[in-house]
Amino acid sequence: MPGSTATHEIELIIEKKTGDGGGGNLPPTGRNGGGGDGGKRSPRENPSAKRYYTGMALGIVSILMFFMALASAFLVRRGSGVWIPVHVPTLMWINTVVLLASSATLELARHHLAEGRHSAYRNLWFVTTALGIGFLVGQVVAWRQLVGEGIYLASNPASSFFYIFTGAHALHLFGGVTALVYIARRNFDQAQVTRSVAAEVTSYYWHFMDALWLFLLALLVLGK
Amino acid sequence: MVTYDDGANAPQSARPSSLAPYLFGTDHKTIGLEYLWLALVSVLLGVVLSTLLRVHSSWPDTAIPFLNGFEYTPDRYAAVRLLHGSLMVFFVLTAAPQLGFGNYLLPLQIGAPEMAFPTLNRVSFWLTVASLGGMMGSFFCATETGINVWLASAAIFAVGALLSALNFTVTTIDLRAEGMSLPRLPVTVWAWFLNSILSMLIFSVLLAGCAALLSDRLLGSQFFSVTSFLAAQPQNLVRQGSLPILWQRLFWYFAQAEVYVAMLPCFGIITHLVSTFSRKPVWKERLVVLALCGVGLIGFCVWGYHMFATGMNPYAPLVFAVLASSLGVPAAFLLASWLGTLWEARLQLTTAMLFSIGFISLFIAGGLSGIFLARQDLSSAAVSEDFVIGHFHLVMGVAATFAILAALFFWFPKIFGCRLSEPLGKVHFWMTFTGVYLIFMPMHWLGLLTQSRLLPDAQRVALASAGASIRTLVTVATISTVFAQVLFLINFVEALARRKASQEEDNPWRATTLEWSVASPAPQSNFGNARPTVYRGAYEFPEGLVNDFAPQHLAPELLAQKVR
Repeated sequence: MPGSTATHEIELIIEKKTGDGGGGNLPPTGRNGGGGDGGKRSPRENPSAKRYYTGMALGIVSILMFFMALASAFLVRRGSGVWIPVHVPTLMWINTVVLLASSATLELARHHLAEGRHSAYRNLWFVTTALGIGFLVGQVVAWRQLVGEGIYLASNPASSFFYIFTGAHALHLFGGVTALVYIARRNFDQAQVTRSVAAEVTSYYWHFMDALWLFLLALLVLGK
Repeated sequence: MVTYDDGANAPQSARPSSLAPYLFGTDHKTIGLEYLWLALVSVLLGVVLSTLLRVHSSWPDTAIPFLNGFEYTPDRYAAVRLLHGSLMVFFVLTAAPQLGFGNYLLPLQIGAPEMAFPTLNRVSFWLTVASLGGMMGSFFCATETGINVWLASAAIFAVGALLSALNFTVTTIDLRAEGMSLPRLPVTVWAWFLNSILSMLIFSVLLAGCAALLSDRLLGSQFFSVTSFLAAQPQNLVRQGSLPILWQRLFWYFAQAEVYVAMLPCFGIITHLVSTFSRKPVWKERLVVLALCGVGLIGFCVWGYHMFATGMNPYAPLVFAVLASSLGVPAAFLLASWLGTLWEARLQLTTAMLFSIGFISLFIAGGLSGIFLARQDLSSAAVSEDFVIGHFHLVMGVAATFAILAALFFWFPKIFGCRLSEPLGKVHFWMTFTGVYLIFMPMHWLGLLTQSRLLPDAQRVALASAGASIRTLVTVATISTVFAQVLFLINFVEALARRKASQEEDNPWRATTLEWSVASPAPQSNFGNARPTVYRGAYEFPEGLVNDFAPQHLAPELLAQKVR
């Protein structure tokens, strides 16, 4: 491909010039295919929104890598030293249900937004935010229960890992809650992206946090 | 007409007197340039520190500032080494080729008006500055506090690196100009792009490691600590108070790949420059891109070879050794491509090209000694401080610095609108090139001579005196090479001083890529309202043109007018 292309191009052009072909420029073989309005860029409502999807996808990979590093450390550490597994408090199971429910309401809210039913969307968005906050509060209460039983961050390696997994996840979910609140309060009239794009990108993050929680829970329950 | 980031960073008001654009402006060119200034400050400091270290190892009794000012303990020596390493690795080798030149040039080379997330870009820059401040501050703290501050700074750097890597990747994926298909991307862009993907993966690991270690030190958690574990183990296996192996695993997982994070953009820069100054397309361009992928992928998997000495599953060293040696394959591809491009070329030996060829030379020399270190059996025999220092300074430190200098000489007209002085640059090149070989080659001998575990004790003692004279040679060479850098500083300052009066043409090197299609220095809005369209690959120097090159943005009918 490289090297010969321009030479080839020139040969083509010379042929065209001598044969008086006219209009013989190679169309740029781009992603947008050059179709549409004669080489001009297609109206950009999407290019500027697309970056948020790409950014979120890549951000998720990066966050996943963070937790995978900790998970691998967890698996290695488990094999050495005193390891007193932490039992997962019952409340965390309830929290799990709350978090899963929030994902469902988020999807419902987006469905209503797409259909243009704004009040239903707003209510469900609020419910999602409330469920998210409920999960966070539930996690804090669960930590306090564990502290009440004398299980601290510094007690033993297993408890350290228990708190860092749940804590780092809670911190990331807090970011998600902030995004929910931001989207609810933001005026999208002036913005480059629409509310539904912002909601969709946020929903990816939210569902990812859901799946991540299930993974961490499985690690803490089965991996002990 | 199009503002790219939903109004949050509306067009900068044109108030040149204000400092605000330099502090909060989100223009990728300003930010890129600030990264380069940051790297320049860091490299000067780092060089001074390395000279102090050399002087101390040759003449231990000499009074040295920074070492004697504090309590004169081995800890201070270690602190100087740590600061030297942190400055050079984080703020020079990572910052300059990727964050500095990448920020400035990537949007220009793909025909984008901005980065994908300009505000985020500014945030990453300030995180990097905060991290630099933290790492320098840690040097002046007491050892224990200093380590905490250093760890926090490394974590902040990781966050900044993650954010800018995200920015680079999204920009490359989504903001390319019309016609800029993947095969038409300049190799530099490929390198920055692949490097960003690699960074996103490894800096997360560094962040996790730093967070866990800080939590151990500050909150008393027990990720790496072993108070209970120690009792059950033989005392000599584990150092008191910590379980270093696990931390080392996480750290090297990051740090080995970090070597490639520093090197990948350099490979891109060198490929780009060698092609431009050979006036030939990159030989086997596809293969080069694949090789860059290979370097990233394998580099990601070889962390274990830093830990041969720590004990691991008996099969693991073999796996890591095979993987590490297989890094030679993509490296050989790259080398073959550079040599293939140089072959029978109409070479233009500008200073930038000299530094590029110097890079290739150092890469070969340093790469060869790497083979010894990649083998688990050889490395346990050959590994010694001097050998390792010689190896990685040649292949990573100095080679990358050569790539940075080559890039600076090449893109200086783009950034500042005038060239650096060529004669002065060439003298500087030859002095530096000779100097670094005189420093780091003898270090390999020193490592093999004085510290080889294969020799009986009596011979080692006998060789120690030979070692002393080599050590002095290295130190003298270091000091003279450092002084040679004054030439570069003079060149730099002199060029900056005359840039206002300079009448440099916009494309002095007759290069093909998009950044040269606009004025030099690049205008604030990059391409203005008319975004460029790309018609061909990045390295096309066809025969039969009035100029010998076919710019990427030139429409075929315009190119046809240049046919002789």
